[in-house]
Amino acid sequence: MSPYVFTLLIFNLGLGTTMTFASSHWLLAWMGLEINTLAIIPLMTRQHHPRAVEATTKYFLTQATAAALILFASTSNAWLTGEWAINQMSHPLATSTIMLALALKLGLAPVHFWMPEVIQGLDLTTGLVLSTWQKLAPFALLLQVSSTVNPLILTLIGLLSTLIGGWGGLNQTQLRKILAYSSIAHLGWMVLIIQFSPPLATLSLLIYIIMTTSAFLTFKLTSSTTMNALATSWTKSPMMTSLATLILLSLAGLPPLTGFMPKWLILQELVKQDLPMLAFFAAMTALLSLYFYLRLCYTVALTSSPNTITMLTPWRLNPTQTSPLNPLTTMLTLALLPLTPAILALVIY
Amino acid sequence: MHTTTLAMNTSLLMIFALLIFPLLTSLSPTPLHKTWAVTHVKTAVKMAFLVSLLPLFIFLNEGAETIISTWHWMNTLVFDINLSFKFDHYSIIFTPIALYVTWSILEFAFWYMHADPNINRFFKYLLLFLIAMITLVTANNMFQLFIGWEGVGIMSFLLIGWWYGRADANTAALQAVIYNRVGDIGLILSMAWFMMNTNSWEIHQMFINSQNLDLTLPLMGLILAATGKSAQFGLHPWLPSAMEGPTPVSALLHSSTMVVAGIFLLIRLHPLMENNQMALTTCLCLGALTTLFTATCALTQNDIKKIIAFSTSSQLGLMMVTIGLNQPQLAFLHICTHAFFKAMLFLCSGSIIHSLNNEQDIRKMGGMHNLAPLTSSCLTIGSLALTGTPFLAGFFSKDAIIEAMNTSHLNAWALVLTILATSFTAVYSLRVVFFVSMGFPRFNTSSPINENNPLIINPLKRLAWGSIIAGLLITLNLLPSKTPIMTMPPLLKLSALLVSILGLLLALELASLTSKTFKALPNLPLHSFSNMLGFYPSIIHRLTPKLNLILGQKIATQMIDQTWFEKIGPKGVSSINLPMIITTNDVQKGMIKTYLTLFFLTLILALFISII
Repeated sequence: MSPYVFTLLIFNLGLGTTMTFASSHWLLAWMGLEINTLAIIPLMTRQHHPRAVEATTKYFLTQATAAALILFASTSNAWLTGEWAINQMSHPLATSTIMLALALKLGLAPVHFWMPEVIQGLDLTTGLVLSTWQKLAPFALLLQVSSTVNPLILTLIGLLSTLIGGWGGLNQTQLRKILAYSSIAHLGWMVLIIQFSPPLATLSLLIYIIMTTSAFLTFKLTSSTTMNALATSWTKSPMMTSLATLILLSLAGLPPLTGFMPKWLILQELVKQDLPMLAFFAAMTALLSLYFYLRLCYTVALTSSPNTITMLTPWRLNPTQTSPLNPLTTMLTLALLPLTPAILALVIY
Repeated sequence: MHTTTLAMNTSLLMIFALLIFPLLTSLSPTPLHKTWAVTHVKTAVKMAFLVSLLPLFIFLNEGAETIISTWHWMNTLVFDINLSFKFDHYSIIFTPIALYVTWSILEFAFWYMHADPNINRFFKYLLLFLIAMITLVTANNMFQLFIGWEGVGIMSFLLIGWWYGRADANTAALQAVIYNRVGDIGLILSMAWFMMNTNSWEIHQMFINSQNLDLTLPLMGLILAATGKSAQFGLHPWLPSAMEGPTPVSALLHSSTMVVAGIFLLIRLHPLMENNQMALTTCLCLGALTTLFTATCALTQNDIKKIIAFSTSSQLGLMMVTIGLNQPQLAFLHICTHAFFKAMLFLCSGSIIHSLNNEQDIRKMGGMHNLAPLTSSCLTIGSLALTGTPFLAGFFSKDAIIEAMNTSHLNAWALVLTILATSFTAVYSLRVVFFVSMGFPRFNTSSPINENNPLIINPLKRLAWGSIIAGLLITLNLLPSKTPIMTMPPLLKLSALLVSILGLLLALELASLTSKTFKALPNLPLHSFSNMLGFYPSIIHRLTPKLNLILGQKIATQMIDQTWFEKIGPKGVSSINLPMIITTNDVQKGMIKTYLTLFFLTLILALFISII
């Protein structure tokens, strides 16, 4: 792809999200979302093979549906209440429709079906962008409307997402699909807490972005997209492979790694809001995800899979691709938990 | 120190020293010479008996009892255990009797076990048993009593299983230990209760401190202990099985000394029981049931030792009844007189068995009166004493007990049972005498029968003298602590004698039927019930292990392995989750239209939720 086009697309990607961040009128927000979608479509088809094109098509259809529905809901709200402002949505029809549309955009259950297939069709970098950057704009909108949405819908979507994220990931061997289901599960956790403490949801999203970035970049380092490829990645970069174990466990939410922080704070907040059963069920569903993360750790570092003698030497060569972002996000994924009080002070108060 | 005190304490501690000395000599590495058993053990017991007569006569003369506390063993801030010997009238009278009987039995055992290569070890075991028994009897605190209690239990195990090559002997020894252990649970329960609530194991202190407490629980524990050790109904099968041991063992342990330990415990701790109606009724009914049941079982046994064993059990039931009547002194009297004639009965049976080349079945004996006159005479004397023939030893205790029973307000059922058992005593005693000494011999004439050995004759004579005059001697010299009721209707007074005579006549009639064919077919159900010991061992010895094993299997295999681990635990989790996982993945068919339809439906649902 021509560097100019590439630059333009990247720029527009940023522009779209930023426009949505900065808007308080629904039409501007919608515009930002559409620019975002349109910008990423060519990026997804950069490699013209049919699988990528198929993924792009699915992505376009679902995102367009969602955006159209956002427009419809905001227009209905304007018609019924005369309000265009995002945080002044009051009519239940509009808020529920907006919630579902944002759920479709983010890839929350029960409308998550496009997510695994789309991410599977893309290369690791674009999948990374899809999992991280593309969640920011809809999430910003969600933050603003969450106080007016029916709490039952939010809770149902959240719990269902964590469940589906757990169950879905268990039968997978493709890493991108695993990370897709992991995204669904983590977003479910965020939606659970967004009605009680929006700053906590933001923190959760931030931590999730950092963790997923390090996961994707680590996989990109060894170009592994399946579990089998991951099993032989220790020969290519032993240090990163051993850290990959810890990154996966951080995604699973195990103390003393960073991934524990959002889960811990969310459970605490839920219990404070007198919802211990909900907290219990959410924690139980986290166990499902833990299993497939552990299985990945198992194949990555805890066992040695069969190799030929010549395959044992790649680590001696200079790596062909290095990302400066990888060490930063990896360290943040592993070591941020002791800073929880400081982070809490910054985020909430 | 005062002369009396000095004499008593010294002689009592000399008894222990005399008995322990042969044991210490056996610890030396040089092997013991062949007659060590006689020169050391029997002599020591004889000396100890003679020494024990001194305290006995001092007691009879002056009424002097003594408690010797010698050594602070384990003393904490709140609890003391000392080495303390109590020689009150019970232990002062019982110790000489026990030593006398043991002396006779040891002399007899030297003849009986003459061909045994381990005879020295046998005598060592018997001596160790005797020391444990004396410890039990003279204990002033529960700890020492428990030491003696366990000691006699273990020695019983070792001695019953003396011929350990025989599987039946091993089974019998195990039975003895297990049944005794069940009783020990009760004893330990009581000891713990007393430790917690009266803060002492010293017997006199227990009496004082427990005056206002509710003693039902520890008394039930003590009764359980007595049930185990003294073979009351429920824990009785070990006593007939214990006849697998050599005859001297049966004579010493299972007739005179060990089995009375349970009753002795209740006698010692009787002041605790005096006012507890529940404990007294339990003793009464349990004793009555025991005495009738075991007397019934004795009616149809064919092994001479088993008949005598059941007779022991029946007399122990009678002692328990006496305790239930609140008459500990009569029970003690019966213990003392019973020791003489029961030991003699066992020695007679041992002599007969040995003479007939180890034949124990009474159906294969007969005519011994002409072949072994002294033995069968002693057998007769012993049987007469057992049935309570007036003015022999057994009469003074048995008749007094039955009189006391007839004149007290108590459970009529217990009364009837005891009277019935008394008549059965006469029946089976006559049966033994009839089959063994009367009639014509029913055995091969291959073994020479010669009882002219002083080792047999002297013990039998000594014990025969005891069986005749011991009752009179003890009764004359003991002041009863409870007033006996002297006046009663003549029928009640004569009831014991009448039922015994009735039993005797019935037994004579039945005995005369043995040479006639009165009925073509025998009445088997009653006979089977009696012969199979009421089917109690058959049921309990098979049912209890089977139930325990089934319980073990249910818990270990079914509950833990199969249910918790498989259905509910790990495999349950995976089997529940698997359909959900499959469903979640199968929905992803790549059909956008389906996805968007589902989205549309979810939207409708959400709108419904929000609007309603």
